[in-house]
Amino acid sequence: MISGINLCVLCAAVLACLMVGSLHLRLNLFLYGVETLFIAGATVLTANAHGDASLICIAILIGTLKALGVPFFLLRTSEKLNVHRDVGAMITPPLAMHLSIVLFALSFVLTRNIPTPQLVVNGWYGAAAGISLLFTGLVVMLTRRLAIGQILGFLVIENGIYVFALTQTLGMPMLVEMGILLDMLVGVMVCGVLVFKIQKSFEHIDVALLTNLKE
Amino acid sequence: MELFFTLCALPVAGAVWAAKCQHIESVRRSVTLLIWLQVIATAFLIGPLLHGDASLLRFTADFAVDRSAACFLLLTNFVAACSLTHAPTFFRNESEIAGKIIPPLHERFFYVSSLLFVLAMNFVFMADNLGLLWVSIEATTIFSAGLVYFSRDKHALEATWKYLMVCSVGIAFALLGTILIFASSQHGAVDGGSLNVRTLIGCAGRLEPKLLELGYIFCLLGYGTKAGIFPLHTWLPDAHSEAPAPASAMLSGALLNCALFAIWRVTELVKLTEHHAICEAIPIFWGALTALAAGLFLVHQYGIKRLWAYSSIENVGIMLVAIGLGSPMLFFLQALNHSIAKVALFLLSGNIIQYFGTKDLSQIRGLLKVSPTCGILLAVCAASVTGMPPFGAFIAEWLILAKSADAMQGISVAILLIALAISFVAVSIHVSRILWGSPKHELNQTSTISRYLVPSLLGICTIVLGLTAIPLILVKPQ
Repeated sequence: MISGINLCVLCAAVLACLMVGSLHLRLNLFLYGVETLFIAGATVLTANAHGDASLICIAILIGTLKALGVPFFLLRTSEKLNVHRDVGAMITPPLAMHLSIVLFALSFVLTRNIPTPQLVVNGWYGAAAGISLLFTGLVVMLTRRLAIGQILGFLVIENGIYVFALTQTLGMPMLVEMGILLDMLVGVMVCGVLVFKIQKSFEHIDVALLTNLKE
Repeated sequence: MELFFTLCALPVAGAVWAAKCQHIESVRRSVTLLIWLQVIATAFLIGPLLHGDASLLRFTADFAVDRSAACFLLLTNFVAACSLTHAPTFFRNESEIAGKIIPPLHERFFYVSSLLFVLAMNFVFMADNLGLLWVSIEATTIFSAGLVYFSRDKHALEATWKYLMVCSVGIAFALLGTILIFASSQHGAVDGGSLNVRTLIGCAGRLEPKLLELGYIFCLLGYGTKAGIFPLHTWLPDAHSEAPAPASAMLSGALLNCALFAIWRVTELVKLTEHHAICEAIPIFWGALTALAAGLFLVHQYGIKRLWAYSSIENVGIMLVAIGLGSPMLFFLQALNHSIAKVALFLLSGNIIQYFGTKDLSQIRGLLKVSPTCGILLAVCAASVTGMPPFGAFIAEWLILAKSADAMQGISVAILLIALAISFVAVSIHVSRILWGSPKHELNQTSTISRYLVPSLLGICTIVLGLTAIPLILVKPQ
């Protein structure tokens, strides 16, 4: 029997795989938002299961800032810059999506032997979902050429690490959790501002073409 | 406790002042004054630790410094102070000699970013919690991005983007490693788990070995990216070469130490467990490999600051070997000598670039004719950084090689020796080309003594460090 928490994080991992299959930024950002909402949901369920009130606070922050704030911010950026579609790099989106699905399966194999604390029920699913999100994020970073796509890939990796922490530990210290969230948000904001500057200087945001400094 | 708050409050106050004050001259002066106050406060704070009166200074549950952290704390603030003292001269010369107009707003932004950057670096050494250590390291990335972006041209933009992306993804892996270490403490070692360094060290033997090993590898990978370990170093030469000279000096002299110190913190923990072999073999071999790769990259360099950036990577490799050997003393000795010489080199390179109006190594010739003081200082500091006797780096490298040989790391010692030889030859050739010959075109003129003040003081420091450390190799290392 799969618990609610595991269902939520597995849904998030599947949504991330779907995201790889499309190059439309709007759809990508929408899927990222829903994926993060699922993770916020998993956080609420974990808070219930462990009786940890501080996790509710984290869940609210994730739900508002990461699931709604960040996608809106990136959407506004892409609309201002008038870019709606990524160019794609290395492999085509359908192929990349299948690769993510293979990696999704592979993460189950990889995490089979990870020891989980006794209090965590069925920790295996959570660990697999986390690692799968991490892989998917890497695939997104490798198959996107636009700066916004790269940021999105990084955010998916971060989600994966969060899911891993949520399902494999009995709650990280609150101070650390807050610090991580703050750092990530500031990082995304700085990158978002940089995207504007790149557009202004280079008249495009294709980071694969930033090769002036290559030796 | 008061001193701890002073250390946190001083940079914040400076940053607020630099952001508010419209008069750039007073910002320059007050930041210089403030950063030296910071150095003095640090020295007072860690005094008891260096005297040996205490082995740990605890401020709050999650903030404390031990002896090795204290040494690095002082070094970092000293490096920042030297760089920021030189910065006003650098900015004045940018407009007077190189003819580049720097808007006061950009310069104030530089001071705000660098003070916050210094604050974040201080937290790296004061954090007694692996989670907060990670948060501080990530904060250094964000604040220093403002420094790399300083010149606001295409190259700076590209370097900043690469820096942010590569380091953020790298550090994300360190976060995963930190979480794995946290998870390893939940299997009976600590009730509910802990990230506190002292608590973890206290129960190192009872940590879950598999999770701890995985955590160690991810931390090494993550913080290694930030330290510029081969092949994850791609951001480093770009960022160091595009940042203004005082910022490059801080990036190389202080930031790399922070990342390596994070690796040291984790290594220190794993060393106490039964699985300590993993934190010996991997860092030693990887460090030697990094030094070799950097040595090979040094041969074909076209930019003067890229040259020093690759030399920093080489030194990072050597320091990683020291970490693998489990010797905080050797790690600090190498870091100290490298930081001081490298800060001087980056500051001098800033002057040279202003003279010649280019970063291109093939265009920089005849420095001894143009400015003998600058030429001699460059030669001294370059000799120091390559590990020539009688400078301090020679002694540190000698001890590291000796200790690696004692630890039966034959292959790594051989690789390290080849790397040191290659980089010595490469740097010597590049530097002699810079020094001799005659300038290829008309130069920007004027020279004031103030531009050599900080580099010459640092140059003297390297010699003194070398001479005072000689007894270390005369007695057999413990």
